[in-house]
Amino acid sequence: MTERRSVVIHVPVLARVEGEGALDLRIEDGDIAELRLRIFEPPRFFEKFLEGRHYTEIPDMVARICGICPVAYQVTAAQALERLFGVELDPWAQAMRRVFYCGEWIQSHSLHIHLLAAPDFFGCSNAIELARIAPDAVRRGLRIQGLGNELMDLFGARSVHPVGVRVGGFHGAPSLARIRDMREKLRAALPEAEALIRWAAAIPMPQDDQAFVSVATQHPDVYAIEHGDIGASDGLRIGVDAFDEHFAEQHEPYSTALFSTYHQRPYLVGPLARLNLNHGHLPNPVQALITNIGYALPSRNLFHSLLARAVEILLALHEALRLLDGYRVPDSPWVPVTPRAGVATGCTEAPRGLLWHRYEMDDDGRVINARIVPPTSQNQARIEEDLRLSLLNFGLDHPDDALRLHCEKVIRNYDPCISCATHFLRLNVERA
Amino acid sequence: MSRVRILGIGSPSGDDQAGWLTVDALAGCGVQGDHELAIEKLDRPGANLIFLLENADWVILVDAMQSGGQPGQIQHLDRNQWPAYQHGLSSHGLGVHGALSLAHELGSLPSRIDLYGIEIGPANPGEQVGAEIQAAAQQLARRIAADLAATLRQDERTCT
Repeated sequence: MTERRSVVIHVPVLARVEGEGALDLRIEDGDIAELRLRIFEPPRFFEKFLEGRHYTEIPDMVARICGICPVAYQVTAAQALERLFGVELDPWAQAMRRVFYCGEWIQSHSLHIHLLAAPDFFGCSNAIELARIAPDAVRRGLRIQGLGNELMDLFGARSVHPVGVRVGGFHGAPSLARIRDMREKLRAALPEAEALIRWAAAIPMPQDDQAFVSVATQHPDVYAIEHGDIGASDGLRIGVDAFDEHFAEQHEPYSTALFSTYHQRPYLVGPLARLNLNHGHLPNPVQALITNIGYALPSRNLFHSLLARAVEILLALHEALRLLDGYRVPDSPWVPVTPRAGVATGCTEAPRGLLWHRYEMDDDGRVINARIVPPTSQNQARIEEDLRLSLLNFGLDHPDDALRLHCEKVIRNYDPCISCATHFLRLNVERA
Repeated sequence: MSRVRILGIGSPSGDDQAGWLTVDALAGCGVQGDHELAIEKLDRPGANLIFLLENADWVILVDAMQSGGQPGQIQHLDRNQWPAYQHGLSSHGLGVHGALSLAHELGSLPSRIDLYGIEIGPANPGEQVGAEIQAAAQQLARRIAADLAATLRQDERTCT
């Protein structure tokens, strides 16, 4: 007679994932009987708060959704409303939106690499332990993160919940002297970012080959960040307005966050999806470096996400430098806006992936209803699928602690921001 | 001349503003001295706190704390009293102690650091700050101002 054993583990970690989440894993007869990424964070009703608000308030309100990627929310909202209102941004504002966004990528990616993800691969339980064995790498990471913050502060007046963006452009323009100073810092950071890529590429990563669809914005001329169409690795290429025709959000009873599917299937958004689709638009020095380190793209290994973030940091530094070359202070950092009724949609690449907004506006420029589809909810179904495949590849016979750590590593590849709160992942393993 | 940075940490939730009130009181009583002094109010700075510890000789941090004591009680926390790091790291939730521990590992702590905690009860959004917390903030501001003045006098004696 086979003894049926049931084990339940509550692990009071892991705050290196954003938001209130838990993972339930039930293993029966050597197979996964149940695997659920449960999000129990209470919903925050941001979309409801926006109803009745004037368009001038929207960029500042949506910035409050996330302390790490406020620029993504601001720029996506502004883009959506500008499209509806028929606003043609000044070329200066167009370029500086991208520079502002580069600051956020640099900051968010460096933070995730060094404080959240890298400790896993060095046998450390947190960045403090990592700092003991790799202090120079952590210091470099913090310097790069700090530079990203400075770049956000330059255009947003502060790096957390910046207030620089307005519908029609920016509220203000940095002086030439401040831009000169920033360009020197960006240039000085290039070798640091190159060293970061080499460091990240040298970290031994699990081999985990999976088939998945990558989804990201795409632009014919540049590596898409702050605007573009929506593309997928299966050849889809659609305008921002057509998102709903191909992507669906659904509620799962065990989660307070919506799950997204693309043609009824999970899909990937985020840095690896972007690199998979858009690596042909990387600047030449970045291309040369990834060829040199042997980073083959597209990649089907989600553990390459850490390296993808490092690559995008170098890309963002080059882009910011390119766009700040020949900087001039504009006559006006914004153009006038006349609101009109209709439906506005916008889409950009938040550090964690594609971010889509939809606003129905009235004649006075007030929100009738709003819908915001953030990257983490789009990745949730993919995370569950990845966990299932990755665990089977890893082997279910490992001790519970090893299974838990492997699950956490997989989840952290996505840098999920379940909400703007801290909290932990509880892993419940049941074996029968 | 010492480079002194005084950081009041908090959030808009009721008594959690204790750190903000303290630095407001300090700024209000005109503590400028001959120090190269920077006073800042921070809303849950997370990892950004590490950058604010750099390039300073003396950092004074004031934060609300919940240790089961009487609301309004002030504690100066010596380094050996900094709670052991327990909760992992989060980009959003890296707490003061996490940031200080990381800065310590990286050798980025200033030569002098004073961490003050003001005991608070439950703190909820939209609540007013309790009278005992306001009084504690005033009291702590006076104590910090006296510390700064004393150090300044000491510096002057050393100089002469």
